[in-house]
Amino acid sequence: MEKMLEIKKLEVSFRPAVGESVKILRGVNLSVGKNESLALAGESGSGKTVTARAVMKLLPNNMNFEKGEILIRDRNVMNLKEQEFRKIRGKDVSMIFQEPSSYLNPVFTAGSQVLEAVKGDGPGRKERTIKLLNEVGLKENVFYQYPHQLSGGMQQRVMIAMALINNPGLLIADEPTTALDVTTAYGIVELLKEMMEKHGLSMLFITHDISLAVNFANMIAVMYAGRIVELAGAGEILNSPLHPYTEMLVSCLPEKYKSGDKIKTIEGKVPDFRDLPKGCSFHPRCPYKKEICLREEPGEMKRGEGIVRCFKYGDFVEA
Amino acid sequence: MKKFLKRLKHANRISFISLWFLLFLYLIAFLADFISPYPYDLQNREYALCPPTAPRVFHDGRVSLRPFVYGIEIVNPAFQEYAADTSRIYPIRLFAKGTERTLAGFLKTDRYLFGTGDEGKIFLFGTDLHGRDVFSRVLHGARISLSIGIIGVSISFILGLLVGGVSGYFGGKTDVFLMRMVEIIMMFPFFYLMLALRAAFPPNLSSVQVYFLIVVILSLIGWASLARIIRGMVLSLKEEEYVLAARSLGLSSFRVITRHILPGTFSYTVTALTLSVPGYILGESALSLLGLGIQEPYPSWGNMLSVTVGNLRILTGAPWMMIPGLFIFLTVIAFNFLGDGIRNVADPKNW
Repeated sequence: MEKMLEIKKLEVSFRPAVGESVKILRGVNLSVGKNESLALAGESGSGKTVTARAVMKLLPNNMNFEKGEILIRDRNVMNLKEQEFRKIRGKDVSMIFQEPSSYLNPVFTAGSQVLEAVKGDGPGRKERTIKLLNEVGLKENVFYQYPHQLSGGMQQRVMIAMALINNPGLLIADEPTTALDVTTAYGIVELLKEMMEKHGLSMLFITHDISLAVNFANMIAVMYAGRIVELAGAGEILNSPLHPYTEMLVSCLPEKYKSGDKIKTIEGKVPDFRDLPKGCSFHPRCPYKKEICLREEPGEMKRGEGIVRCFKYGDFVEA
Repeated sequence: MKKFLKRLKHANRISFISLWFLLFLYLIAFLADFISPYPYDLQNREYALCPPTAPRVFHDGRVSLRPFVYGIEIVNPAFQEYAADTSRIYPIRLFAKGTERTLAGFLKTDRYLFGTGDEGKIFLFGTDLHGRDVFSRVLHGARISLSIGIIGVSISFILGLLVGGVSGYFGGKTDVFLMRMVEIIMMFPFFYLMLALRAAFPPNLSSVQVYFLIVVILSLIGWASLARIIRGMVLSLKEEEYVLAARSLGLSSFRVITRHILPGTFSYTVTALTLSVPGYILGESALSLLGLGIQEPYPSWGNMLSVTVGNLRILTGAPWMMIPGLFIFLTVIAFNFLGDGIRNVADPKNW
């Protein structure tokens, strides 16, 4: 099957103003098939957004690619020049963001911004734009309105229209519902599902909300400290999580509580990238830690369709 | 635009007045050929340094419905002494006949907006050493002095915006190179750089050539400081999320800069634009004052003033020759007030 996106052993490092450079992504492997959706879940600071921006090749100036490959439609794009990659952005892969209000230019109307995204000239650009605006649930008058005249949900819909106007194969959604309230967020998620079906879209859905991820995607990748620690189908994640981190995340879901239960949290916090613990980076918070966890890093072990990185399931050590 | 004018009117009365005053000046500069009662180079040798003739309505205790001027009596031609000859009365006519000239390049006509016909003379601002009407020359000179500011500012702003935008957006080596270039230009004192650039070109150019030369020289000097400020603003604007979004749509760098970054600097640039127009007017005046600008007989406010420099007889005996200076003063002040007003109104914090 054609893969829309494949990331192989991607390593990205961060170069601070002072001090040594720090690895943010440490060998990320991912793939999104055609018309599939993959959710990338994890705590803040685990490297989700960096992964997304790496795929768009829009890393901040102080971050660098170290190693690895990114394939879009089975084409390696790592060595493409900026000019060539620009043709891919918006056409093969596009992106929507967390805070729609700040990602729309305040000085132009919503319509002109969607119109601007259209690649190539050709007649009927405006009609196409208005049709797509209708499709994402907006009235025609939105075309002539400025971003500050729209609500957050409407702004996000404009962003979605902008991202989809050139029929890209892959949409990266970087926490598209974080800035919205729950009912609006629900509407956006439903819209994204509908768009996937209608346009045969593949989706890389980034979220910190594991229940949203389960609700939305076929496959879920759980990220921790710049690594994917578990990749599995949505059902497996929810019902039989393998990695201790996933297990703890899932057990924190409100759906699992009985009345009177205390709210559960995961002790500790995401480790500092500058000072990662030796061995498995999750071991300080892990209830199952063994002696080997302190020394070695677990490698990717296959489990069914997915993978897991934990010594609970074998002694495969990361090379 | 309408809203903008309304806000300007309420926020800052004086800059609103300045705006209309400037529009009025530009209008009369545009219509100079038609409004001025004489061609700018028409010499009346016998009326050299004649004081302004006042339009009158009273004669012998009676009111005349049509304004008129008295005839000018030459008392002493050697010392340019004149007196009003109350026995001769010349009514001021609208669309009066005069010397034939071509309007707007194709319209041949001998009609002027107002005048006294063939017999009498009307010198509203007096005459200069060659007996040319200062009023007509001020109107024609306004064309040079007012347009040099607008054209010069446009050129230097396009340069400044582009260099500043590119420098701030790309950063790195591009930034270092462009900014060092800017610093080299800024290092030279403005006035000496202007003189040096002017001196690099041959002195015997036609008026039109000199005009363009001055515009280019002034704008080549003016863009540097703007480019630096724009660069600083671009450095912060390029981190805006909507710039990232625009890039994620695959827009070209040029488009991202011109459409998504530079408009963010406009509240500053529009203000800076109006505030720097006076610099160009004064620059042209300074060059002309030194005889390096617009050449006689074509008038500019600067070269009309240059005649008065160091000439005590003119300063004491013919102060009307300094009227172009008054116009420079009023224009510069009006532009400054306008710029001030726009700055207040364009700043969203003051709405």
